[in-house]
Amino acid sequence: MADTTTHPVRHAGGVYGRSIVAQIRAITEYPADFWVMASAGVMWNVLQFAFLTVLFAAVPDVAGWRYHEMLMLSGLLTVAAGSTALLCDGIWSTGTYVLKGEIDYRITRPAPVVVQVASSHIGMQGFGEVAFGLVMAVYGWIGAGMGLAAVPAGVLGLACAIVIECALITMLCAVNFWIKGTNSVFAFVMLDLQHNAMTLPLALFPAAVKLVTMFVLPVAFVNFVPVAVLTGHLGPWWLVGPPLAAAASVLAAVGVYRLGLRSYDSSGH
Amino acid sequence: MASVDVALATISFKRKIAYKSTWIFSVVFGGWSLLAGLAVWNHLIGDGEMGGYDWQAMKAYLIIGFLTSTLAWAGSDWEMANRILDGLVAVDLTKPVDFQRARAGEYIGGMLASVPAALIGTAAAVVLFRPAGPVSPLAAALTAVSLLLIFPLAFGISYLSILTCFVTQRYLGIQWARDTMLAFFSGMMVPLALMPGWLQGVAWSLPFVHFTTTPASIYLGRVGTAGALGLLAAQAAWAVGLWVLGRLIWSQLVKKVTVHGG
Repeated sequence: MADTTTHPVRHAGGVYGRSIVAQIRAITEYPADFWVMASAGVMWNVLQFAFLTVLFAAVPDVAGWRYHEMLMLSGLLTVAAGSTALLCDGIWSTGTYVLKGEIDYRITRPAPVVVQVASSHIGMQGFGEVAFGLVMAVYGWIGAGMGLAAVPAGVLGLACAIVIECALITMLCAVNFWIKGTNSVFAFVMLDLQHNAMTLPLALFPAAVKLVTMFVLPVAFVNFVPVAVLTGHLGPWWLVGPPLAAAASVLAAVGVYRLGLRSYDSSGH
Repeated sequence: MASVDVALATISFKRKIAYKSTWIFSVVFGGWSLLAGLAVWNHLIGDGEMGGYDWQAMKAYLIIGFLTSTLAWAGSDWEMANRILDGLVAVDLTKPVDFQRARAGEYIGGMLASVPAALIGTAAAVVLFRPAGPVSPLAAALTAVSLLLIFPLAFGISYLSILTCFVTQRYLGIQWARDTMLAFFSGMMVPLALMPGWLQGVAWSLPFVHFTTTPASIYLGRVGTAGALGLLAAQAAWAVGLWVLGRLIWSQLVKKVTVHGG
């Protein structure tokens, strides 16, 4: 029987931790699975690296951004996206659980449903994404001539990027409570949008895109804003943006998931 | 074509359009990649040209890529993958229907469900962005043949990717890797003409190149009629080759089937 007299946040954290540890134990039982998925995770980074190298062989800069700065953009995005696979990959199953009525079982257990769903799986591609994403970001960092003094700001940007990414994917997967389907189309589209547009300078896009990516679905604060601040494309006061965006994203994710659970009526209705 | 193939394709078609909102949103948002590509290449090309593409030609190139990728990934790869991941493949083995052929029927049915929306999206893009037209009526006809060959080609690639589910517990990462390889080696991210020679060699030795570079090269007249026919032959050969390869890999991986630890 779970001890529900402890602080709710600590209790939820404990459940999350035990669930993730159980998933890690399961991973060790399937080594082939691990290596296939980790290699798949590296694929995007390798090809993005190749894309930028080919592109910058033809042009000196893109909207004022140079090769190593663009590597940092891609690297930070991959670390954030890969972290969601490691920390909350189960959230992608929300649509399937809703369709099959498998949220029922989780509602009856003494732990937040979102925590149970999020920790129900680890995306092993995340290991490859995070590892190679860090390599890409660090290579870009060194190549851009940035020193150790900027490391604290970089770490803050990285932490906020992971929180924002996890929260936004959770929020968009929760849309499946209303728009039924096994695929989390909205979350997938956001990732697709990020990989297509957020690996490029925002100056390339119309003002509407800048507004949406900063103030509606704040994906710009995952990688563009922190890297732009670190490389001097934006002023240092922009650094308050990522923590604010992280807080707003977490509140939105929790709120939307709760609303989704309220409208949940199991399967067959 | 047997009636069972048509029946499976029809069921898949109906299943795809059953979740209308999900289907519509997935098609609408698919246009984001096209818009991002247009923004980037408009900035880079300006009034000049890159890799032999001026702005008009690049617009046609990107719109063809949008059309082919919208068609290609509208199939039922998730349904195929889940049959293996959930263990339903064990039930399929008892049925008097060839697994690969049945999945092909379902996949093509799913692709057909996306055709109207893909065509409307492409027509809208043509009206909005006014790309270069086909270099000749024959080139337009051969481009259409290339687009038709994408149906079996997309199935072949998707089938190989879902077979990995015999040794993995999840399909998402595999799908992501496959989509990335397609985006890069098809020439959607950056035209092959800008790649170094050795990388072009790698791209031309893979099937992905036939999703964008082949139809766009024929459409824009970057290859002559003989070259176009050669590319179509290569595309058809890949479709057949992937079918055979899928059968060979299936015969090995199906030995790994374990259901609920049994």
